[in-house]
Amino acid sequence: MKVEVEKIGEFLWEIPRSGRMLVPGRIYADDESMRFLLKESRTKQWDALAQVRNVACLPGIVGASMAMADIHPGYGFPIGGVGAFDTGEGVVSIAGVGFDINCGVRSMVIDVTKERIELNSERVAEELFNSVPAGIGSTGTLRLSVREIDRVLVEGASFVLERGYGVEEDLEYIEEGGTVAGADPSVVSPRAKERQLKQVGTLGSGNHYLEVQYVEEIFDEEAASAFGLLPGGIVVSIHTGSRALGHQIGTDYQSVLRKASVKYGIPVAESELMAAPINSPEGKQYIAAVRAGINCAFANRQAISGLVRDAFKRLFRLDDGQIRTLYEVGHNNLKLETHDTDEGRRNLLVHRKGATRAFAAGRDEVPVRYRRVGQPVLVGGTMGTSSFILVGTELGMAETFGSAVHGAGRMKSRKKALKEYRGEDVIRDLAGSGIIVRTRSRKGAAEEAPGAYKDVERVVAIMEGAGISRRVARLRPMICIKG
Amino acid sequence: MTGRGHETLEHTADMGLRGWGGSPAEAFEETALAMFELMVDRIGAAAETDHRLSIGGRDLTGLLIEFLNELLSLADIEDMAFVSVSIERLEGGGEDWELDAVIGGIPRGKCRKRLLSEVKAATWYGASVERDSDGRWVAGCVVDM
Repeated sequence: MKVEVEKIGEFLWEIPRSGRMLVPGRIYADDESMRFLLKESRTKQWDALAQVRNVACLPGIVGASMAMADIHPGYGFPIGGVGAFDTGEGVVSIAGVGFDINCGVRSMVIDVTKERIELNSERVAEELFNSVPAGIGSTGTLRLSVREIDRVLVEGASFVLERGYGVEEDLEYIEEGGTVAGADPSVVSPRAKERQLKQVGTLGSGNHYLEVQYVEEIFDEEAASAFGLLPGGIVVSIHTGSRALGHQIGTDYQSVLRKASVKYGIPVAESELMAAPINSPEGKQYIAAVRAGINCAFANRQAISGLVRDAFKRLFRLDDGQIRTLYEVGHNNLKLETHDTDEGRRNLLVHRKGATRAFAAGRDEVPVRYRRVGQPVLVGGTMGTSSFILVGTELGMAETFGSAVHGAGRMKSRKKALKEYRGEDVIRDLAGSGIIVRTRSRKGAAEEAPGAYKDVERVVAIMEGAGISRRVARLRPMICIKG
Repeated sequence: MTGRGHETLEHTADMGLRGWGGSPAEAFEETALAMFELMVDRIGAAAETDHRLSIGGRDLTGLLIEFLNELLSLADIEDMAFVSVSIERLEGGGEDWELDAVIGGIPRGKCRKRLLSEVKAATWYGASVERDSDGRWVAGCVVDM
């Protein structure tokens, strides 16, 4: 069915309510991006605009079914999708979280000059490549028992911190302090735990990465100063999630939520949008399992950040005070949040699938050090293009429940990328532009070629133009480690 | 489409799978092979170990999704790259289908250079198992990459 859109702002489009939609759809896009989305909608089997519309049909959705500027087709929810649900009447949906629960980005500011990295770039790349387990079937340096995995699922980042990965101060700069409450290991299957025994502290593969970047340009002096960013300064960013445990939780709960959709008569426009009422036993159980997955991802990134910290300490004789966690933000998430809506202040369960939280100044959730400027938003680019650090705005709080983009967003399918690019060429071309890539998979390098993604500059400009988030700094990649 | 076979379908972020054959079992085998080929270079690869798998109690599409997800879990737990599949029994009706399968694999440690991509899960998005107008069984879904 063709999706109709109306332009309601310079960078905002609406799918008006029709049929079974309970709220409108809202998409952040410029004219060219929308032309592309409409063309895809007409010609391709998988349609991101239809996914925005379908999410708008789920019971208890509040405001609008939204998609940020990095929108592209997912499964059920679009990537870039945001859906907030009333905690009384609303539902929780697997497709709004995905199988890589709390996949996200940690960025660390390293007190070493760009020149020192450049002079030692091969050595830095080699050290990081050897220090951080990555790739298919890789195993972490932590070996855990099932009982210890249960602790990971409850304690999150603090569990691995106790094992010597990172420093106490890291926790302050992770969403929820690195531990979300309400996680219940008893609703996570033994198989999910078994799959994770050796995977805590592994990067994974695909679009996951570890990148050494430098601050190329600062757009907002005040926020950059609060975040500790200086022109030419070095940032290391880690993109990974909850690994096999998250995948298995999603897999296990597909059958639970599928049955729940039937049991509670939830109208599901498309099978993967299976859902359960938030207050049903099935919904509560799934949320408790997702929270266990969220904590697992916190622990995973804490472990990797500890390996990165130790690598830089060895490489440049730094001490812990010279390596600081800037922030860590997830982008496949489920969060209970309080928002001001047309109907007053409400508790909402916010699904963000390929979208990050982007809270404005003054919110209690923002670390004290940043509270007067707002929450850092970490936007990953591609191997060859810039990443951005943004900051949340008041308009974003009002319009998107404090949400923003998570990355550039794919434009070409993996299949198309493999036809157009060769991994060897991608790595050689990037080397020509001064970017070192270390990967175990040439195919992965082709799939993740910069040309397979949207222009990240345009994506963040759309969000800034719409007033949802502001650019603070542009980061350029120097070294990229992939699985 | 010939008698039996499989293909992947373009999806911007993830990947669509489709397998077809003269029976549901053949369509399931072909869909599994399409998934294996995202994960490992199967050309010229000979299985070294056999793994038995039995699942049931699902409608036919549910059985497909569970089958593919079982393969992903098993590969991870056993640290295997799967390269072949044989469904020995697939029978049932309505909401109660079941299958027995034998999966051929190579320990990942012995074939690192063949490993291609990680598949996170088989989803219900675009999932179906049905007979087409030529009487062939066609199965498929989108997998999360």
